[in-house]
Amino acid sequence: MIADTGNVKFTTRDVHVFYGAKEAIKGVDLDINNNEVTALIGPSGCGKSTYLRCLNRMNDTVDSARVTGTIELDGVDIYDRSVDVVQLRARVGMVFQKPNPFPKSIYENVAYGPRIHGLATKKSELDEVVETSLRKAGLWNEVNDRLDTQGTALSGGQQQRLCIARAIAVSPEVILMDEPCSALDPIATARVEELIDELRENYAIVIVTHSMQQAARVSQKTAFFHLGDLVEYGDTEDIFTNPREERTRDYITGRFG
Amino acid sequence: MSVTLLILIILGAVTAAYVAGLARVRAVSGGNARVLHSRPSYYGTYVALVVALAAFSVMAVWLIAQGPVIMGHITDLLPADVRNGDPSMRELALAQVVNVAQSGSAFGAEPYAVKLAATYNSMLASSRLYMTIAVLLAALVAFALAYRQVRPQARARNWVEAVVKALLIICSSIAVLTTVGIVLSMLFQTIHFFSLVPPENFFFGLVWDPRFAAAGSGGETGQFGLIPVLWGTVFITILAMMVSVPVGLMSAIYLAEYAGPRFRGIAKPILEILAGIPTVVYGFFALITVGPFLRDGGALIGLDIDARSALTAGLVMGIMIIPFVSSLSDDVINAVPQSLRDGSYGLGATKSETIRRVILPAALPGIVGSIILAVSRAVGETMIVVMAAGVAANLTANPFQAVTTVTVKIVSQLTGDQEFTSPQTLVAFALGMTLFVITLILNVYALHIVRKYREQYD
Ligand SMILES: Nc1ncnc2c1ncn2[C@@H]1O[C@H](COP(=O)(O)OP(=O)(O)OP(=O)(O)O)[C@@H](O)[C@H]1O
Ligand SMILES: [Mg+2]
Repeated sequence: MIADTGNVKFTTRDVHVFYGAKEAIKGVDLDINNNEVTALIGPSGCGKSTYLRCLNRMNDTVDSARVTGTIELDGVDIYDRSVDVVQLRARVGMVFQKPNPFPKSIYENVAYGPRIHGLATKKSELDEVVETSLRKAGLWNEVNDRLDTQGTALSGGQQQRLCIARAIAVSPEVILMDEPCSALDPIATARVEELIDELRENYAIVIVTHSMQQAARVSQKTAFFHLGDLVEYGDTEDIFTNPREERTRDYITGRFG
Repeated sequence: MSVTLLILIILGAVTAAYVAGLARVRAVSGGNARVLHSRPSYYGTYVALVVALAAFSVMAVWLIAQGPVIMGHITDLLPADVRNGDPSMRELALAQVVNVAQSGSAFGAEPYAVKLAATYNSMLASSRLYMTIAVLLAALVAFALAYRQVRPQARARNWVEAVVKALLIICSSIAVLTTVGIVLSMLFQTIHFFSLVPPENFFFGLVWDPRFAAAGSGGETGQFGLIPVLWGTVFITILAMMVSVPVGLMSAIYLAEYAGPRFRGIAKPILEILAGIPTVVYGFFALITVGPFLRDGGALIGLDIDARSALTAGLVMGIMIIPFVSSLSDDVINAVPQSLRDGSYGLGATKSETIRRVILPAALPGIVGSIILAVSRAVGETMIVVMAAGVAANLTANPFQAVTTVTVKIVSQLTGDQEFTSPQTLVAFALGMTLFVITLILNVYALHIVRKYREQYD
């Protein structure tokens, strides 16, 4: 099940996640490639979010969660003692299911990451980072005349793109997206999907989605999870046209889940 | 018949009315709830409410009216010279009548007073009797009217809800009217005070020395400078906030963001117990422990600290207020959505960065609210100040000296052995009014801040 092409960004081997005594991920081996979009699909509760949150150690914030196995980013185990979780999260950005802009101005939302990581020392540098991030997120034209209004005052789709801009602003290498379009209308979704496709040039992207069409549209690789197991992984085209596993076929044709 | 017994009878009648209304609606609907406009219990409630309203309003009107009516009658029966004489003598005579009537002892009373006391008692007794009859009659009539209205298509639910709504409105207006009443009564006394002492002497006076004049001498005696007393309040409040805001806020942050659920479950209730300790106990603590400790400690390092000082009061008051700040702030911080924390952590922010840059700004309106609440507690606090800071109105910025506050002076002026019309007593109302205006401004300002931020953060 291991990818054969492209340069590997994340290597995960025998990953188990426990919430207390409950095992949510039961030994997953998966590689995430650079400059590709990897889609995680599967029925609700199968552990997609849990797996995704292992990749930037967001599970650390959940008291009951325990992660075992190896997860390597560029060959370095991110759960190693020597790895600083702050630096890791600066390299592996995250966009959440529900847009969660900070209750600050649009400018401050985007400048938040660069500020805490000291990425820009001068105001002009910061301005530039904010502008390029908003441009990459496809939001600049809509908000450039009102950067000081509240981020929370934007529409849902704009908020989600603001959150993407916020993630891009710290120049991560990987972007994790957990159902980024579930709160958006079709037009905003199309906008975000377009954006994901553009971002692929520079980043490795992992996206969790419940929409088969979306997975088919935006991703190059697809991983199908079921009950904490990775059932099937491969090129998106193969998975959708010619799945090897019965369960995968049933799921993508809508027979369960 | 006593009023208590009458009330019990009315309550019994109300219950009976409920049952009767219910029975009637069941009978007229023939057990078929479909034909009814409202659920059966609404019809019962409606009949019961009508009876209760009629009975209690007749009773209330009667009880309010009976006093003045009887007194008017007694006044007419007073001997002519007393009735037409000095009004204060008349009041005295009437008071004597009532006193004799209630105590039953005629010792030292005028003969006419003893006679009128008997009249008074008999009038009161017959008034009670007529009231009972009137109330029961009203209940009966109301019951008959309401009972007849119980028909399947009657809009019982709407009526009941209208009555409930009216009750709620009355209750909320009681609170508002009470406030207005308190303010008005203070206002009149304050105006009276300012007719005796010029306002500029009060508001800008730097000396508080209301020499207690002999009763009845009247006129302006002593100096009523507000500034030293008000300064005491402000000074002690500032000291208290310097203790309680940092400590309270930081413990709230620790409880909300760092502490595990087990520790939180123990620590938060304990912190809240602090809020339940009577302030007079804090006063002991200040008087017996903190004051001497500070004095002796100060002496060791060459500081001259009075046993009663602004510092002692501020410190102890600050401790008293900690739970107000911390408990409320903790709730507010907990109410900040988890998604904001995740967003910040997801960008690689540390815990303290997340707290400083995301959580505290988002929680700020609530935190400001809790601080303002704490300030008004501090401003209104009396007991700790009396015991810890003393009663001497010094105008000083030295926290090691004794000062006193507005509330302490209100108490000492009102409990003095003074005529109620002397400026020495009336000044208490002017002080109270000033305090009221200050806290009002504080609250309005706090509301303004909270609203402003709420617009931004919602
Ligand atoms: N904080 C938690 N504490 C305990 N159990 C959890 C926690 N979060 C998730 N779980 C459990 O772990 C399993 C996997 O959850 P996860 O959120 O990863 O599912 P998912 O695939 O993302 O589902 P969905 O598509 O509904 O988002 C579920 O059974 C869930 O109940
Ligand atoms: Mg999920």
